[in-house]
Amino acid sequence: MSFLTGLLRPSLPPGEHFGLLAEFTSPAELYHACEGVRDAGYTRWDAHAPFPVHGLERAMGLRASRLPWVSLLLALGGGITGMGLQGWVSTLAYPLVISGKPFFSWPAFVPVTFELAVLGGALGAVFGMFAMNQLPTLHHPLFNSQAFERASDDGFFLSIESWDPQFNPDRTADLLRRLGAKEVELIASAPRQAPALGGATE
Amino acid sequence: MATSKGMNGTHTESTPPAGLRGQTVETSHGLADDPDFLDPVGHRPPLILGAPSFHDVTEAVARPLERPPTRAWWACLLASLALLGLLGVSIGWLFWEGIGVWGLNNPVGWAFDITNFVFWVGIGHAGTLISAILFLFRQKWRTSINRAAEAMTLFAVMCALIFPGIHVGRPWVAYWMFPIPNQMGMWPQFRSPLMWDVFAVSIYGSVSLLFWYVGLVPDLATIRDRSKGLRRMIFGAFALGWRSSMRHWQHYEKAYLILAGLATPLVLSVHSIVSMDFATSQLPGWHTTIFPPYFVAGAIFSGFAMVVTLMVIMRKAFGLEHIITMKHFDYMAKIMLLTGMMVGYAYGLEFFIAWFSGSAYEVFTFKNRAFGPYAWAYWTMVSCNVFLPQLFWFKKVRSSLVWLFILSIFVNVGMWFERFVIIVTSLHRDFLPSSWFYFRPSLFDVTTMIGAFGLFFTMFCLFVRFVPIVAAAEVKSVLPQAAAHPNEAPEIEPALPGRTDLLPGGAR
Amino acid sequence: MSAPHHSGGTGPRPASLHTDALHLPPGHSWHRLPTVGLTLAAVGLGGSLAFGLLGGTEARHQLWHSWLVGSLFVLGISLGALFFVLVQHATQAGWSIVVRRLAENVMGALPYLALLFVPLAVLGLGDLFHWSHPEAVQSDPLLQHKAAYLNVPFFLIRTFASFAIWSVLAVWFSRQSRLQDETGDHEITRRMRRRSAPALILFALTVTFFAFDWLMSLDPHWYSTIFGLYFFAGSVMSFFAVLALVALAAKRQGLLTLVLSDEHQHDVGKLLFAFVAFWAYMAFSQYLLIWYANLPEETSFFAKRMVGTWSIAGTVLALGHFIVPFFFLLPRTIKRNATALRLAALWLLAMHLLDLHWLVMPNLHPAGMAPGLLDALTLIGCCGVFLAAFGGALKRRALVPLRDPRLPESLTFENV
Repeated sequence: MSFLTGLLRPSLPPGEHFGLLAEFTSPAELYHACEGVRDAGYTRWDAHAPFPVHGLERAMGLRASRLPWVSLLLALGGGITGMGLQGWVSTLAYPLVISGKPFFSWPAFVPVTFELAVLGGALGAVFGMFAMNQLPTLHHPLFNSQAFERASDDGFFLSIESWDPQFNPDRTADLLRRLGAKEVELIASAPRQAPALGGATE
Repeated sequence: MATSKGMNGTHTESTPPAGLRGQTVETSHGLADDPDFLDPVGHRPPLILGAPSFHDVTEAVARPLERPPTRAWWACLLASLALLGLLGVSIGWLFWEGIGVWGLNNPVGWAFDITNFVFWVGIGHAGTLISAILFLFRQKWRTSINRAAEAMTLFAVMCALIFPGIHVGRPWVAYWMFPIPNQMGMWPQFRSPLMWDVFAVSIYGSVSLLFWYVGLVPDLATIRDRSKGLRRMIFGAFALGWRSSMRHWQHYEKAYLILAGLATPLVLSVHSIVSMDFATSQLPGWHTTIFPPYFVAGAIFSGFAMVVTLMVIMRKAFGLEHIITMKHFDYMAKIMLLTGMMVGYAYGLEFFIAWFSGSAYEVFTFKNRAFGPYAWAYWTMVSCNVFLPQLFWFKKVRSSLVWLFILSIFVNVGMWFERFVIIVTSLHRDFLPSSWFYFRPSLFDVTTMIGAFGLFFTMFCLFVRFVPIVAAAEVKSVLPQAAAHPNEAPEIEPALPGRTDLLPGGAR
Repeated sequence: MSAPHHSGGTGPRPASLHTDALHLPPGHSWHRLPTVGLTLAAVGLGGSLAFGLLGGTEARHQLWHSWLVGSLFVLGISLGALFFVLVQHATQAGWSIVVRRLAENVMGALPYLALLFVPLAVLGLGDLFHWSHPEAVQSDPLLQHKAAYLNVPFFLIRTFASFAIWSVLAVWFSRQSRLQDETGDHEITRRMRRRSAPALILFALTVTFFAFDWLMSLDPHWYSTIFGLYFFAGSVMSFFAVLALVALAAKRQGLLTLVLSDEHQHDVGKLLFAFVAFWAYMAFSQYLLIWYANLPEETSFFAKRMVGTWSIAGTVLALGHFIVPFFFLLPRTIKRNATALRLAALWLLAMHLLDLHWLVMPNLHPAGMAPGLLDALTLIGCCGVFLAAFGGALKRRALVPLRDPRLPESLTFENV
């Protein structure tokens, strides 16, 4: 149960501030900044770009995704279900001789088995991805930032969360500026109030 | 170090001059700064013209959704809705009166219905080819057209699914097709290729929907972030709270790769299974072992024709000329040429093996196909699918939208006739000459066929209005300025006698 | 500059490469490949001819059937290479430039492999092909019907034409590629691209009818439209296995270490994997449709292969040519691991050989598998001819197309 609620509720840092958001002007700058943040030993941080910047996961030092295993497992499950169902129906549940074929006509069962394996693999890949990414998460403190709207357009951002052991609002902001950030912003944890308190710009 | 461009296309870092130290030329090849790298021999021009910034791409993709609809769009939608209404009336009358309203007769138990079914499933295949197979082959040009082609796949599968549903004549027992026992405790017949079809096509539709939706999520977030009020809420809900996070992108890209890896064999299997509806039988003209790959090639052929037809219109209507360029049409024409020749190969081989088999039935069927009562349909098929596409050998034809449009229509017609020829010519003269009959479509055969186009185009009109029609995130990723760390290629040096010092020593 | 471009294996690249490092260095052990190959050819082919021709009728039948399996094995590899090279040109591929020369050297064997078919055509036809005996045709209406196609002169013309086409294509594309090493002319790349498309058409037609002639007509009553594609699928798969082996062996021998990265190995592995699946698709399509329709004139092929130990061979093929290598090659890490990929490639070559054996031999040994000395000798001999031709091509020119305009692209490409 806690696993499910964990999936549904985003893991967010406690406290008043979510963390710092820094904006960069190009993928290359974001790339170098990520290397810098990685080398500085930060662990709870993220980069945001309107498209997957090639190689950025290496600059961030991310581990390879384990999604393929989820997909493979479900694909095997789908395939076993397919062959199992057809075999069971044709030999035990309601055996019928049709066009002189044996009850267990495995060649004729391959197509459906294959299709169900693909379905399992695809469901595993998509919903596994959503689960690993904790999506849907319809609200997130980052959306408090006005500038962050450009993350899906042409903005390149780096966010460091306040529960990172290395986090210090001033020193971290300095590091980000040193790494070439155009703008550094402190992000509040609470949802943005009506017009006045929109994303406190640091 | 190579250049990287800022988001507005300005240089934020300059290229140091390539150093010349004695005989050693050291240059680096960066994707961003060296046009030769992309196009060393003049055949690999930039995919997106006019060097747009990331924001320009967002604008180009989002604007059609944010503008009020044009009159032309309304005209298209209303015309499509009228055809959709025709489909509704035709199906309603079919259900009321029964299968007798079609022109089917005793030996020809399948005609327009299954022809339409196979035609529409085939149309869908180009979408998956573009989104999955070309992705695996690293064909980056696909990014401009994959969204629309995938949408086309979904709508084509919808059209296809109508026909098996309605052609059984008793739609109220359509649930017999589902893998559940009926009231007599009997299960569907899993040894039947028609049953495989149910699984193949419905799973194909489902996986295509998933693939399409996964691709849409980042773009829906883009629209969300540009809009206000209710619109923001709707797009926000469908975007699932996507926040362009790199940690998310990592799993996302993996999911996309897996989906492409699964969709590739899936798309091959779907039309293979459709072909087995015919090929598992013992009917001459239907039963031949090359059917699975032959049907797949034909499906991709017809699908690309439909993509070309739609793209010619779409890029004009929405001003996407810089994103869907003539290069894209050139590639698509080449794929049509290739797949057209593959079906030509199969046509020829079928004839050869029919003769080679020495079976009187095989020989008769193929002679009858080419010279019998349906010779007109056969030669329409061969002309549209094999002869006319030979024009694609000419660069002039490949780079003329008029030619492309006309030829794509011919291919669509030809591929519809291919299925008609296979189905009807093999059936109409069966083993018992006394039951030979010539199939003539009835009015409702024709209205149902045309009506299905109404469904397809209605869906497509709604799609171009409410969904980002180009995969903006993917197009951005193939812009030259998207590269974060250009690679350096070592320079190959001319052999200089005695200059062994140039040999890279430290590296293994 | 400091970005770790390659996640494994090659490490940072040097800024420049000397062309000497891209040739077979003087004194390298691979210079002896032609000698080794010719020795093997002499021993294998000479030995098999001696045993086969002096051992009576049965041995002679065995000789030509074994010879056919061995020749088709090496021919398939070279045809796969020709296909690969043509497709790289037609699609203007960039990633593959660094392995293209290796493929060119493999396809360069084609003219020499024609020699392997000379004894088959001159001495072996009667022992291989039932339809080549006029008296057999006399008593068989079906063969009389097919005689317009299945007759010795036309058969020889087709075989000759196929080899002529393949040899011309192989020589022309190799020579152009070598010419570009000297001139660096981009026009050569364009010319090869333009010619590759018609060449692929010729390739498709010749391979199809070659498979019909030399494999399908061993049982002249049987027919299958997909058979040409079946032979093509297995052949191209065997080529990718050889390409993987050759590339990995070259790196182990200290050749091309600076240009062949894990990325190229990964791509060759992916193509090997793809053709494992493609072969299974062809094989299963053929089996399912024939099994399902259950027409006696078609099922004869499989009925013959369900007798005795042949059924075991069929099961081994289903598992070993598809299921096991499919799951083995699925993970990314396997394709990027030299030892694992080498193992898979060797295994698949063995399976491809079994596939050819399973296609040819049931006609000679209907009771069950009977592998023997002649199978081994002819295989050694055919591989020797192949090795000699490959080694000869290898040492005559650079190991990569030195001045291909897309070489930089190939050197730096990365899998996503």
